[in-house]
Amino acid sequence: MKALFIISGLGILAMLAEIFKFKRALYPLVLIGILAALVANFTEFNNNESIQAFNNMIRFDNVALAFSSVILITAFLWFILANDYFTNETSLTDHFSLVLFALTGALMLTAFSNMTTLFLGIEILSIPLYVLAASKKNDVKSNEAGFKYLIMGSFASAFLLFGIALIYGATGTFDLLAIRAKISEGMPLFFYAGIIMMLIAMCFKVSAAPFHFWAPDVYHGSPTVIMALMSTVVKTAAFVAFMRLFLVGFGSATSVWAMAMAGIIALSLIISNMTAAAQSSVKRMLAYSSISHAAFMLMGILAVNPIYSMRAILYYALAYSVATIGGFTVLYRVEKQSGNTYDDFNGLAKRNPFAALGMLICMLSLAGIPVTAGFFAKYFIFTALIGSTYKWLLVLAVIMSCVGVYYYIKVIIAMYFKKPTHQEPLLIEKSHTLLLAIAVVLVLVLGLLPNFVLSV
Amino acid sequence: MVKLIGFVPLFPLLGFLINGFFGKKMSKGAVGFIACASILASFVVSLLIFLEVHNSSAQKATVVELFSWINSDTLKIPFSFLVDPLSCLFLLNITGIGFLIHVYSVGYMHDDAGFSRFFTYLNLFVFFMLLLVLGNNYALMYVGWEGVGLCSYLLIGFWFKNDAYNRAANKAFIMNRIGDLGFLLGIILIFMNFGSISFGEVFNKASSVSTGTITAISLFLFIGAMGKSAQLPLYTWLPDAMAGPTPVSALIHAATMVTAGIYMVVRSNIFYSISATASEFVAVVGAVTALFAALIGLLQTDIKKILAYSTVSQLGLMFLALGVGAYSSAVFHVTTHAFFKALLFLGAGSVIHAMGGEQDIRKMGGLKKALPVTFTTMLLGTLAISGVPPFSGFFSKDEILAHTYEHSKLLWLIGSLASLCTAFYMFRLMFITFWGSFRGTHEQEHHLHESPKSMTVPLMVLAALSVVGGLLGLPEFFGASNFMSENLDTVILRKNPSILSHETEWMLMGIAVAVALSTIYFAYQMFVTHKVLPAEKESEMKSFQRVVYHKFYVDELYESMIRKPIDLISEAFYKFFDVQIIDGIVNGIGTVSMWKAGIIRKLQTGHIGFYIMAMTVGALTILFFSLMN
Repeated sequence: MKALFIISGLGILAMLAEIFKFKRALYPLVLIGILAALVANFTEFNNNESIQAFNNMIRFDNVALAFSSVILITAFLWFILANDYFTNETSLTDHFSLVLFALTGALMLTAFSNMTTLFLGIEILSIPLYVLAASKKNDVKSNEAGFKYLIMGSFASAFLLFGIALIYGATGTFDLLAIRAKISEGMPLFFYAGIIMMLIAMCFKVSAAPFHFWAPDVYHGSPTVIMALMSTVVKTAAFVAFMRLFLVGFGSATSVWAMAMAGIIALSLIISNMTAAAQSSVKRMLAYSSISHAAFMLMGILAVNPIYSMRAILYYALAYSVATIGGFTVLYRVEKQSGNTYDDFNGLAKRNPFAALGMLICMLSLAGIPVTAGFFAKYFIFTALIGSTYKWLLVLAVIMSCVGVYYYIKVIIAMYFKKPTHQEPLLIEKSHTLLLAIAVVLVLVLGLLPNFVLSV
Repeated sequence: MVKLIGFVPLFPLLGFLINGFFGKKMSKGAVGFIACASILASFVVSLLIFLEVHNSSAQKATVVELFSWINSDTLKIPFSFLVDPLSCLFLLNITGIGFLIHVYSVGYMHDDAGFSRFFTYLNLFVFFMLLLVLGNNYALMYVGWEGVGLCSYLLIGFWFKNDAYNRAANKAFIMNRIGDLGFLLGIILIFMNFGSISFGEVFNKASSVSTGTITAISLFLFIGAMGKSAQLPLYTWLPDAMAGPTPVSALIHAATMVTAGIYMVVRSNIFYSISATASEFVAVVGAVTALFAALIGLLQTDIKKILAYSTVSQLGLMFLALGVGAYSSAVFHVTTHAFFKALLFLGAGSVIHAMGGEQDIRKMGGLKKALPVTFTTMLLGTLAISGVPPFSGFFSKDEILAHTYEHSKLLWLIGSLASLCTAFYMFRLMFITFWGSFRGTHEQEHHLHESPKSMTVPLMVLAALSVVGGLLGLPEFFGASNFMSENLDTVILRKNPSILSHETEWMLMGIAVAVALSTIYFAYQMFVTHKVLPAEKESEMKSFQRVVYHKFYVDELYESMIRKPIDLISEAFYKFFDVQIIDGIVNGIGTVSMWKAGIIRKLQTGHIGFYIMAMTVGALTILFFSLMN
C-alpha cells in the first residue's frame, strides 16, 4: 500500500524537478524511492491488518505484495539500464514521471479488487506508454509505434469497458468477490459475453494471439529501453491483473472462459515461436519471445490449484523479467554500436567476453535450460498444469519450447562461433556491467534455489 | 560450536571465489596466503568441533540444517550437515593434511604460470570434499562426490597443453562416471525403498527392508566406491592421474578423495552388516585389488606411479577391512595412510623438484646426501607403510589383518602377501633413489638441492604424524584404550565383537613383523649390496616380469574389449541412426516450421486496419464458440 503512495509521489516530484531545477538529483532520488517502496512492501508482508483501502477497492494482500515487489525489483533494474536514456535521449524530466506513473498503474493492477480500479490501473499504465513509445520525436518509426499503440489500445479498452458494463448489468456490482458470489446464482447469457469481452481485452494487454498484432510493430518502433519496460514491468502487471480477475473474480465460471483461453494460448504459442524463429533481428525476436512467454504464463491460469499456479506465475514472472532485462542490457549496447540483427552479435565472445557470457546465461534461461531460473519457471508451470484436462496444451508447449531453443541458441552461436563482423571491442559502461552481473546472479540463484520464491 | 559447522566448508569456498575472481590480479604471495589461510581457518573450526563432539558424553551426532534445498512432493531434501565422530575425523584429515599440502604447494608451484588457477581448484576441491563428508543425506554426498570428481579432472589436466595429460584427465573422469552411475542407482533404489535419502531415517528403517534389496543397494553403492577409490576393475585411472602436479596426487589421489569410497561404505555400514553377500564381495574385491596392485608396483620405475599403485593396493586393504566388518580399522588405516602416503608423495615431489622434473628412479640414486630432510622423512614414511613397529602403519595394518584372519584365512593370506610386496617395492624405491651413486646427467647433479622451507616443514610434520599416528588405535591388549574404535562406537550400528585370543593376535603380529623385516633385508641385499637395477629395456626382462611391467595388460584389454567395440557400434549408430533418422526428422521439422513461419510472418503487415479486422474476427469467433456452450 505504501509503495503505491511512494511511487505516485515520486511521479509528481519528477514533474516538479524541471521547475525547481533539481534535475540532477532526480535519478538517484528515483532509485532510492523504488528501494524505499520495496522496503515498505516487505514490512507490510504477512501483516493482515489494513490491507484494504478506498472502500475496499484495493486490497494489498500477500499476493499483491509479492507481485508488486517483483515489479519494483524489475523497475529498479530497468532504471539502471535506462540511465543514459534519461541523459542522452531526452532531457525532459517528464519522461521520469511518465515511467513512474506507468509504474503506479502497474502497482494498482497487482492489488485491485474492484473493476473500477482495474480499469483505472490499466489506463494509468497504458497512457504514459503511448507517449513513451513515441518518445523518439524525430523517428518516424517511433511515432508510428506510439500512434498504432494508442489506436489499438483504445480499441481494447473499449472491449474492456463493454465487458465491465455487461457484467455490471447482470450483477449490479463492481466488486470481484461479490461478482464471484453471484455467479453461483445463475447468470444471463450477456454476463458470460461480458467475461469473454474482458478476456479479449486482457489478452490484448498481455499480447496473446490473435490480439498480438500490435506488439511486434510497437516494440520494434519504440526506443529499445522502452521496449524493455513494456516487455517486463508492463507485461508482469497486465499478467497479475489477468490472474486476479480470472482466478478471483471469475474463478467459478471456468467452464465459460477456460476453453477459449486454451485456444488463445495454443495459437499464441504457435504464432510467436514460429515467427520468432524466422526473425533476423534480435530485437524483433525478443518481441515475439515475449508473446511466447506470455502464453506460457497464461497456462498457469488454467491450472487446477489456484495457489500453486499463483506461485508458479510469480516465479515465472520474476525469472522472465530478470533474464529479459539482462538480455536487453546487452542488446542495448550492441544496438548502440552497430545494430540489432543476429549478425551484430557475431563474435561478441571475443569483443566483450563478459557481455557474451551474461547474454549466454540470460538466453539459456529464456530457453529454459537447467540450472537457470527459466528451467524451473517452465517446470513449475508444467507441473501446475499436469493435473488439469489440458494435457494436449502441455505437449504443444513442450514442442514450442524446443522451437524456442532454436532461436535463443542462434544468438549464442553468433556470439561464440561466428567471426566478428565488427572488429572493435564492445564497450559497456560500469553501471551496465553491474546490471548484467546482477541479472546473471539472480538468474543463477533463482535457478539454484527455486524454493526461495515459492515459499513466499 | 557445532552450530558453526557451516563455516568449515564456507572458508574454502570463499578462498575459491576470491582466488577465482581476483587471483590473476593479485600477487602470488596473496593468492597463496588466502588459499592456505582459508584451509587453516576451517581446520581450526573443525578441531574445536571435533573436541566438543569427542568430549560430549551423550548426544554424539548432531544434524545442523542450513536451509531447505529441494522440496518437491514426496522428495524433501534439506541442505543439512551431520556432525558426528566419523565426519569430524574426516574433517580433521581433510583440513589438516589439506593445509599442509597447501603450504607445500606454495613452494612447489612457485614458478608455475597457473599459480592462482592451481589454488583456485585446490580450494574448490577442499570445499567439495568437506561437503561430501558433511552431508546428512545421499544427495548432498553425491554433490560433493561429483564436485571432487570435477576438481580431480581439472587438476589432473592442470598442464592442459600436454595432450597425454588431458587424456589422463578424461580417463579419470570417464572411469569415475561408471562408478558414479552405480552410486546414483543405489541412491535411487534407497529412495524407492525408504522414501527418504537422509541418513538417520534410512538407517533406522534398514532392518525392515528385505535383505535382497539391501544387497542390491549395497552393491550399487559399492560400484560407486570402486570408481572413486580405484578398485578392480575401475582402478586404471589412478596411475594415469599422476599426470597432475605432485601436491594434487598427495591431496586428492592419496589422502582424501580416493578415500571417499571408504567413507561412504563406513557411513552406510548398516547395509553391509545386514547383507553378508555384499560384504563378502567387498572383501574379495579389496583383497584381490590389494595384491594385484602391489604386484604391479613391484616393477614400476616411475616414482609417482609406484606410489600410485601402492595407493590402489592400500585402498584395497581398507576395503578388505570393510568387507570383514572391521569398519573402525578401515577408518584408522585411512587416517594413518593419509599421513604416510601424503608424506611419501610430497617427498617424491621434493625429489622430482630437485631432479628438475625427472621421475624415473633409474636415473636417480645416492640422493641421501643432497636431500637430507626429504630422505629422512621419506624413510620414516616408508617404515610406516611397510608395517614396521612402532610406526603408525604397523598398527592400522595389523588391526585389519587380525580381523581378516578371524573372518577367512585365505583373505588373510592374500592381504599378508600384499603387505609383503608393499614392503618390498617401497624399499626398492628408497634404496634405488637414495642409496648408491647418482645416475642422472651432469647438469642434474649440479642442480640437486634440498627444497625450500615451505616444502620441508610440511614433510616434517607429516613424518611426525606417520611415526606417532599409531597411538590413535593401540590394540586393546596393550592395556591402552583404542581411541579409534571407541570414537566411532556410535557410528557403527552393528558390531561383531572380536573373538580372537590375545595369543593369536600376538602370533599374527609376530608373523607380520618378521615378514616385513625379512623383506626389507632381502630388498637391501638386492638393491644396495648387489646393486641390482631395474631393466632398461624390455628385452632384458623375463616373460612374467614383462607381463607385470605392462600392468597385466589391463589397459590394452579394456582398449580392445570395451573401447573398440563401443567405437564401432557408435560409428554404426552415427551413420545410420543419427544421420539418416534423427537428422532427417529434425531437418524435416525445421523445414516445415520455416515454411510455416514464412506464411505466418506475412500476416504482420504493418497495416493497422488489417490488425483491427483480425482482432474483431478473433473476438467474434471466441464469443461465438464460448457462448454456444
